[in-house]
Amino acid sequence: MLIEQCAYGNRWRRVTPAAKGLFSIGSLIAAFTATQPATAALVALLVVITTVFGAGVPAARFLRVALPPLGFLLLGCLTLAYSLDVAPANGGLAVHWLPAGWTPVLQLAARSCAALSALLFLALTTPLVDLIALLRRLKLPEVLLEIMVLCYRMLFVFSEALHDTRTAQAARLGYATPALTLRSLGSLTANLTLQIWQRAHDLNVAAQSRNNDGTFRFLEPAYANSRRDIAVAGLGASTLILLAVTMR
Amino acid sequence: MTTDVLLEFADVAFRYPDGNAGLAGCSLTIARGSRNALIGANGAGKTTLFQHANGLLKPQQGVVRYAGQPVDYSRAGLRALRGEVGLVFQNPDQQLFSASVREDVSFGPLNLGLDMAIVRERVEQALQAVSMAPFADRPVHNLSFGQKKRVCIAGVLAMQPRLLILDEPMAGLDHAMRAELLAVLDGLHAQGITLLLATHDIDFAYRWADRIHLMAGGRCTAAFDAAALPDNADALAAARLPMPGLVELHRLLVARKLLPTDSQPRAMGELISQLSASEKDFQ
Repeated sequence: MLIEQCAYGNRWRRVTPAAKGLFSIGSLIAAFTATQPATAALVALLVVITTVFGAGVPAARFLRVALPPLGFLLLGCLTLAYSLDVAPANGGLAVHWLPAGWTPVLQLAARSCAALSALLFLALTTPLVDLIALLRRLKLPEVLLEIMVLCYRMLFVFSEALHDTRTAQAARLGYATPALTLRSLGSLTANLTLQIWQRAHDLNVAAQSRNNDGTFRFLEPAYANSRRDIAVAGLGASTLILLAVTMR
Repeated sequence: MTTDVLLEFADVAFRYPDGNAGLAGCSLTIARGSRNALIGANGAGKTTLFQHANGLLKPQQGVVRYAGQPVDYSRAGLRALRGEVGLVFQNPDQQLFSASVREDVSFGPLNLGLDMAIVRERVEQALQAVSMAPFADRPVHNLSFGQKKRVCIAGVLAMQPRLLILDEPMAGLDHAMRAELLAVLDGLHAQGITLLLATHDIDFAYRWADRIHLMAGGRCTAAFDAAALPDNADALAAARLPMPGLVELHRLLVARKLLPTDSQPRAMGELISQLSASEKDFQ
């Protein structure tokens, strides 16, 4: 939901998704090319600055969205930072701290941060609706796109159904005790299963009534200044890649 | 005048696979260019009737005729029918499945196989008609119930149907939104689109419709011109519907000689202005 809000509320909402996608891919490439941790960190910083000051995504919100993946990154770094060794000499376990020194850990952390910021840039500035339209123009198979469209819409329909049912249960003390909670969750699941079935059927009927024959076709949105924006994004992306290559 | 009949149901029967009777010998005619209100209790078969009109269901008995021709249930025939008869569902979440408003409205016309440029133009027109153009790029789930309803109507309008069917369009709308929706419907009627809508509100039907159809138990029990509603007390009573309060009040005022017998107000506002214009002394 937080990502949704940013994607619709940022300054670059009207910029063609092609430009934003290009910049995002460019920074991803830069993140992979950068071998030095310092270079990767610089790429990450530049992309974050672009997102926060360019697209006007609030820094606090950016941080909140970035926190969960950063947590995973921390876990990954920890596993790299020490290794467990079954030492046959004394028959016990030995823990080695930093077997290969700090370099691989820092490299992983900095690169991942750069890649993460590149993806977050795209996610926080481009609504999924636009992304799907972009992927359609890139000739991604229709089946995948249809699944994306339906999943995205269904996500909201079902979260609403889930929320409504839960509220109705809570209003009648369905979650008052742990035992009741378990019971209510059970009936919630059963009820949602039926609802999903019903809704899927209803949607199919409604699609037929508008003359659908199986394939979904949608109109592509039009963007002003898309050439200029793509050029600017291409310039930004190549600067980042150049930076990563020269600072090897 | 058979040429004026746009849609005709002749003794149509349909029973759902689970045994529920949907329609049981339903006959009904919709005249071209008219405004029709279909009134019936819940479960009377209104939705089933609508799904027959759009070719979603096929009658097990009887026949549905569109523009004088029996409906052709082949692929091409259904395609032609669904381009002519637009159906707006009662629950907007049943109908909307695209991520954004513009996408959803474009769904129908693209299914008709129209050119991209024409579709783009039609989508803008349809969104204008329901005053939803500023919301074109919004995701559907961010809209209010009333807005979703209007997007549903736009999605069908963009297919430029000749007969627009709306399943309880007023349900769940507040007063202001009802007034807006009515203005939209009036605009469509002025363009020559035939309208058929289901409602529970007999006062609204009397005020708005040209012709009223009553439904009960899967059959159309009565159909009359809305102006003749005061003479159809028996039919209303049989469908367990009250006579509109306006009719009762008007009768009383005529009986008390406060209004002339030849006046027939269809809306409360009309009655009030007739009363204020009347020179009778209320004392």
